[in-house]
Amino acid sequence: MILNEIDMTQLLSLLTFNRDEPMLFTSGLFWVLFLLFLPVYAMLKSRRKKMMIFVIAFSLYFFYKSSGVFFLLLVATSIFDWWVAQFIESSKNRTERRIALTVSLVFSLGILLYFKYCNFFMSNFEAVIGGNFQPMDLIMPVGISFYTFRTISYVVDVYRGKIQPVDDYLDHLFFLSYFPCLVAGPIVRSCDFIPQLQQNKPATREMIYGGLWLVMLGILKKAVFADYIAQYNNIAFGNPTGYTGFELLMAVLGFAMQIYCDFSGYSDMAIGLGSIMGFDLGINFNYPYRSLNVTEFWHRWHITLSTWLRDYVYIPLGGNRHGKVRQHFNLMVTMLLGGLWHGAAWTFVVWGAGHGVALCVHKLCKPWLDTIPSTRISRFFSWLLTFSFVAFLWIFFRANTFEAAGQVITGIFTDFEWAYLPVFLKRRFVWCLMLAIIYGLHFVPRRTWDYLRVRFIDAPWWLKLVIFIALIQLVLQFASATVQPFLYSQF
Amino acid sequence: MNKPYWGLWSLLLAALVFFVVLSFWQDGIRVGGLDIKTATFARDLGARMTTHKQTADTADAEGLLPNGHHVKGWRAPMDTTAKSILFIGDSMLEGLAPRLAKYCDKNGHSLVEVIWYSSSTKVWGESGRLAELIAKYKPNYIFICLGANELYVPDIKRARRPHVKKILAEIGDIPYVWIGPPNWDEDTGINDLIEQEVDEGCFYLSANDSFERSRDGAHPTRPSAHLWMDRVVNWLNTTGAHPIRLEKPESGISRASHIVIYQPPV
Repeated sequence: MILNEIDMTQLLSLLTFNRDEPMLFTSGLFWVLFLLFLPVYAMLKSRRKKMMIFVIAFSLYFFYKSSGVFFLLLVATSIFDWWVAQFIESSKNRTERRIALTVSLVFSLGILLYFKYCNFFMSNFEAVIGGNFQPMDLIMPVGISFYTFRTISYVVDVYRGKIQPVDDYLDHLFFLSYFPCLVAGPIVRSCDFIPQLQQNKPATREMIYGGLWLVMLGILKKAVFADYIAQYNNIAFGNPTGYTGFELLMAVLGFAMQIYCDFSGYSDMAIGLGSIMGFDLGINFNYPYRSLNVTEFWHRWHITLSTWLRDYVYIPLGGNRHGKVRQHFNLMVTMLLGGLWHGAAWTFVVWGAGHGVALCVHKLCKPWLDTIPSTRISRFFSWLLTFSFVAFLWIFFRANTFEAAGQVITGIFTDFEWAYLPVFLKRRFVWCLMLAIIYGLHFVPRRTWDYLRVRFIDAPWWLKLVIFIALIQLVLQFASATVQPFLYSQF
Repeated sequence: MNKPYWGLWSLLLAALVFFVVLSFWQDGIRVGGLDIKTATFARDLGARMTTHKQTADTADAEGLLPNGHHVKGWRAPMDTTAKSILFIGDSMLEGLAPRLAKYCDKNGHSLVEVIWYSSSTKVWGESGRLAELIAKYKPNYIFICLGANELYVPDIKRARRPHVKKILAEIGDIPYVWIGPPNWDEDTGINDLIEQEVDEGCFYLSANDSFERSRDGAHPTRPSAHLWMDRVVNWLNTTGAHPIRLEKPESGISRASHIVIYQPPV
């Protein structure tokens, strides 16, 4: 009887590609599927080949659910680059090897440029020549920026002789399609990942429950903190002229924390899932807002991206090997590309350029800065300056247009009054509390986190369950919680 | 499966079962003054599994579907009688209502304007105030402009749907037009939600219109709001489900026969 009522197409739509509903680690569907995935994975773990085929199938489905038939692009890229790597290894002719590398780079970057930057470049070109460009309705395959960088690093490392190409194509496809890293990194290198895959060590209890702990931290950061804080930031950045300087400053501080919780939360979930499956994916964020200068910030922020840019852009450009001027030029180019990688808009380019200039200035001033005694006061001001600068540049990262960024900056500098503080605290108390908690957690020592992680791993099963349920309930509570949009009601 | 994997799997399964069971309490659970929100598993699955096909085939002679909505494209004939109009909403009425009053003056309708500052579908839905106003002023046509204070509400379809339904239930059979918010930024779904709930031809989507904004960046300027009202009326008499006599007056504004103002909800 019930079957008469079932609309199977509706039910199937839940499991098929929907561009508006990409499968993310915070979605209920992912966890239901992961629940089905886990026992099969655990049973196949010791049988490497079967385990690999199963994980690849799951990963490709994961990619299909978010990007539709474009999962075939990933398969095509993996076949092509696996073959190119084999060719580079077998060829003794340097020119042939170079041509193969160039073709691979053109292929990988060509796909990325087409899907991510085509509309951007075309609209700019049309703006220059005065045309009337209509943006194409392109679906950007989810995670294309991440897997493109991973495949490039693989081919380049083979070309440089840093690693041997993998003989088994499945190893390469497994590496490239590995679902925890597919959507938003970390940008794991083949040289770090493939040996783990080939050794296929069983996942220990510490790895499995340590992974769960990381996943939970990631969910807390992403689904509770970032998503809640984002509400007010969206409101203020959506209509900067409707807000006072104080409110806009709070939105900037809020966005600094939102983007940290968002990026690092998702990374934590990916790394945690990797750990559950027995893989060490490294770390991607290391308390970035503790940094005392911009160089240190880039050693702590999105580490796998910054090291990728260092190894595959900055150093090939010449790094610091050709004098100061060239080094600064290389830094600027690297950071401009890094900015553009984050999004196809000039605001991202300005964000990258700002960081590039800051890195150059820091390098220039370093001899003088090193003479300043390291005291609490000097460290505090170093931190304040670094954080303020990083937060300021986030304005360009977040604002949709330069006009909006200008309005935010103008508002902060021309319409700022501390008088709004008590009202702001009163009307948006939970928001302020969350911001304070995230800032506070940033200064909890790593050993404390390690201690809590170990305590969680050693906790009885039922206590872990209670903590997990409490966390998910927290997510549900905050999923529909709203931030007061206006301090003084005018609507 | 080794022991830690078994432990993790059973933990995840137990948590899933827990939240699925709780999800059958779709309106949440109240424990000691605290609202415990529940997941949407049951509702989502139910919505996907019991979709009745509401097609024109099942409509009656009046174009009415079994769910009470009209089929797509259905329009009542132009009603040329004098109307008693009630216009409720948020502060957007400051710009819209004076222009509608001018239309009413020209076409022999009476207008009661009720501005509730900072109000939202939630505020109106929970208050029951619309039912009181209808009982008091006995309108035979209603305009609503709500949604501007809800552009950024997360999970809005879940959070606000009951309130939109409540407002529509209070309106009952009275013909109405719901004017959507004049988006100054992308919304999280308020327009979709209203469009899904209201009857065919009763929702004017303002989000795609362009406006000249006042200094707050959100409200249209007065001249822009007057043009907005003109567009609503034009849409109502060409596309809307319940057209009434609203010939365009010369430019300018007038005053409603009665204006009620409510202070922002606390």
